[in-house]
Amino acid sequence: MVKLLRTLFLVDLVQGLWVTFRNQHPKHIYTEQYPAERPQVAERYRGAPRLNINPDNGQTLCIACDLCSVACPENLIVVTSERNPETRRKELTTFTYDTARCMFCGLCEDACPVDALELTQDFEMATYTRDGMIWDRQMLEEGPKPKQYKY
Amino acid sequence: MPEATFLDASELVLNMGPQHPSTHGVLRVILKLDGEKVMGTECVIGYLHRGVEKIGENRTYQMFAPYVDRMDYIAAVSNGLGYCLAVEKLMGLEAPPRAQVARVLLTELNRIASHLFWLGTHALDIGAITPLFYTLREREEILKIFENYCGARLTTHAFRIGGLQYELYDGFEREVKALCDWVIPKIDEYEELLTSNRIWVQRLKGVGILNADDCKAYGVTGPVLRAAGVKWDIRKALPYSGYEKFDFEVPITHNADTYDRYVVRMVEMRQSVRILRQAVENIPAGPIIAKVPKVIKPPAGEAYVSIESPKGELGYYIVSDGSTQPYRLRVRPPSLINLQALDRMARGCLVADIVAIIGTLDIVLGEVDR
Amino acid sequence: MVVTPWQNDLTVELKEAFGDQILELSTGLGQDYLVAGPESVIAILEHLKLEDEYDYLVDITAVDWPDKPERFELVYILYSFARNHRLRVKTRIAEGSHPPTAVGVHLTADWLEREVFDMFGIEFDGHPNMKRLLLPEEWQGHPLRKDHGILQMDNRWVQENMGIDSGQ
Repeated sequence: MVKLLRTLFLVDLVQGLWVTFRNQHPKHIYTEQYPAERPQVAERYRGAPRLNINPDNGQTLCIACDLCSVACPENLIVVTSERNPETRRKELTTFTYDTARCMFCGLCEDACPVDALELTQDFEMATYTRDGMIWDRQMLEEGPKPKQYKY
Repeated sequence: MPEATFLDASELVLNMGPQHPSTHGVLRVILKLDGEKVMGTECVIGYLHRGVEKIGENRTYQMFAPYVDRMDYIAAVSNGLGYCLAVEKLMGLEAPPRAQVARVLLTELNRIASHLFWLGTHALDIGAITPLFYTLREREEILKIFENYCGARLTTHAFRIGGLQYELYDGFEREVKALCDWVIPKIDEYEELLTSNRIWVQRLKGVGILNADDCKAYGVTGPVLRAAGVKWDIRKALPYSGYEKFDFEVPITHNADTYDRYVVRMVEMRQSVRILRQAVENIPAGPIIAKVPKVIKPPAGEAYVSIESPKGELGYYIVSDGSTQPYRLRVRPPSLINLQALDRMARGCLVADIVAIIGTLDIVLGEVDR
Repeated sequence: MVVTPWQNDLTVELKEAFGDQILELSTGLGQDYLVAGPESVIAILEHLKLEDEYDYLVDITAVDWPDKPERFELVYILYSFARNHRLRVKTRIAEGSHPPTAVGVHLTADWLEREVFDMFGIEFDGHPNMKRLLLPEEWQGHPLRKDHGILQMDNRWVQENMGIDSGQ
């Protein structure tokens, strides 16, 4: 008899609906209003690459050792350098990074011995052309500058 | 069950094409129908074939680890675990105890995330839209832990050969404990929504039965095998990465239909939380990665190592010829072999049940096609 | 890898049943395997399934050794629930040979052998549906062979079916 009443009055369906209605309370809102509020990404997030600059003397930290391009699974880093005749050290001339083929695995960041190449928390890297996704040294040092919209 | 015959004039061939919301990816199923009943199916796969095995022959062992995440992309961490265990076996290395417990923690989190995603999409296919939102919300919390740990939510590249690259961050134990306490009432909520719901029961009970002998004949593993009554889990049978130290149960049911697979996966989620609670209590101190040479060159040989991924038995058969690149890297995909049983399960049921059966097999096309 | 001979009552029984068709019974890295001649593999699989409870075929795969006269090495990985033991059965076949299919013994072999055909070009005799599995049916070339380049593809198929003139 109880079973008949439960079936007749849709008790199991009402139970499920009650769960749904319980979740309608405003405190359960989970949606992030992007792009008005930017999401909090983790500190270790593997986003857009950046070539770091020594803050003291404004020069690049990269020593052109080429370990990052050896470590990359996709072979998309090209580092060229020239030897400085006075200090006998290699100096970085150009650094090309193809973000179109990059899978943001972090192997280049792990390989860099001086923490020059770093994957930052930037994820807004859209461009209008395929060529715009190949970043040269200047783009890597400054980072992508996405358009900020004001609401 | 009636066999499909081409002399049957009322037979209709329907294409459930690669672009379909319920096929969980690019899967093409050609259905031979008699009215609404399915007489036979044929799966056409390969739309997501990327040649991962061929890529494996052209990358060094460390370089290949990010590619492995892209196969079963819902549960990416366990793919990495299987690969690292296989290479470590070839090298004769073992990860230190701290790394093993951290691997267990991340893999079980990944199992909960995968089952949550399965539940959401399966319920969506059946027609219950709400569980999708709730399970993805829960999955967000787990993905936040992955992001805090290794920097990526989906293609994590969390493990390295010999251990882990990054130290566990401050607050990892606190977040995992908070997640365990938070996710159990949510699982109770899903059961309240679905388990006794008459629509759910009528759609799933008796659909897609694959009994134990058929499972073994077709090589089907994972929750599908456990729903058929075979109590077999690689974490218990051939333990790896320190699973023998944890106390958990392997759920089985006996009806081997779709409803039972749902029950088995829900219990598996709870057991994963149980493992997480045990593991996070005492994470041993020590190094996080073993002494691994810079250039990994395993001696010539071959090894087959498999793990219990959320989908089934995920195995890696690696043949090494002593150089820095694998000679042959074979991935045994559980989703492909489970998908083979679709034809067996689908004979005699209705078209609407095909969607339920594909959902209950829990296939990920990235793994089927590699 | 350090290979040691493998001996227990199972190997004794197999040796009795198959004699000199089993070429090697060894253990490497803690994993047992046996090497057999190509004609006797199906009989061995059947014997293992019916007599020794190796009822679960985990995987069928192939490895290409182009320098050796018998180019392909077919590997069958089996598991027994009752014994909780995993076993590999390997055999070497030459190019162009047609090994018998294992579908009669294990139903799993259906798609696994189709994939081996797709990737290596090894056709199995007696298979009900010997078509390509992952690549399109009219594709020429078998990618996992060592003489197939990593960027090589069937440009003719791509041009005809996808309309991309460069073939890429």
